[in-house]
Amino acid sequence: MILELLSAGLIISACLAIFLDEAVYSVAALAGTFFLTSLLYAFSGAIFAAVFQFAVGAGTLAVLFLAGEMLSETPTKTSQKTLLLIIAVGVLLSLPAIFLSVSGTTSVLSGISFGEALWDLRAVDVVLQGLVIMTVALGIVIVLHEKRKGEK
Amino acid sequence: MDYVILSMVLLAIGIYGLLTKRHLLKVFVSVELIATAATLNFVMLVPSLGKGLGEAFLILAFSTDTCVSGVILALLVVVHKKYGTSDIGDLVKMEQSKEESEVEA
Repeated sequence: MILELLSAGLIISACLAIFLDEAVYSVAALAGTFFLTSLLYAFSGAIFAAVFQFAVGAGTLAVLFLAGEMLSETPTKTSQKTLLLIIAVGVLLSLPAIFLSVSGTTSVLSGISFGEALWDLRAVDVVLQGLVIMTVALGIVIVLHEKRKGEK
Repeated sequence: MDYVILSMVLLAIGIYGLLTKRHLLKVFVSVELIATAATLNFVMLVPSLGKGLGEAFLILAFSTDTCVSGVILALLVVVHKKYGTSDIGDLVKMEQSKEESEVEA
C-alpha cells in the first residue's frame, strides 16, 4: 500500500513540477519528486540506490534553487482551481502504474558482483565517463580563471 | 503496482514538458524527470539484470545525469546573462531579428 501511495505522490509532484508557473515552486515540487523517488527505492529494498538518489538530488536542487531564484522574472500565481486540477491529473496518471502490469522480464546475469559488472562489462563506459567528468572540471577551472582574469 | 508503467508515465510527463514549456528552467526540470524515469527503470530491473550489473548501470546513469545537469545549468546561466531572458520563444525571435538585420546589411 505504501508503495502505491509513494508512486501516486511521485506522479503528482512531477505534474506540479511541470505545470506550476513560478520557477521556485516548480523546483520545490521537483525536490518532492526526488525525495519520493528516494523513499520508493528505500521501501523496495534498494538502499544503495536510495542513498545515491538522495545525494544527487540534494546537490542538484541546491544549485537549482539558486538558479530558479536568479532566473525567475515576473512572479505569477497559480490559482487554487488550477492547482487542484493538476493534482487530479496527477492522481489519474498514477492509476495505470498502480492497477496495470506488464509481463515480467527474464533473468539474464544473476551471479555477477558490482565490481565485476563495473570493470569487466562496462569498463569503456567508466573510462569515458571519467574523461567527461575531467573535461567538465577542466572547463569550469578555465572559465573561472578567465573570469578572474577579466575582473583584474 | 508496476514500475515500468510508473517510469513510462514519468517519461511521458517529462517529454510533454520538454515539448510544451518555454521557460528554460522548466525544460531543465523536464530533463531531470526524464533522467529520473530512466534511473527508476534501471533500479527496478535489478532483480532481472543481477545486483552487480544493476548497481553498475545505476552509477553510470547517475553520473551521466549529474554531468547533463551541470552542462544545462551552465548553459542556462550563460544564456540568461547574454540575452537577459529565459524564454525560448523570445530567444528564437531575437535570433531571427538578428539574422534579418544581417541579411539587410
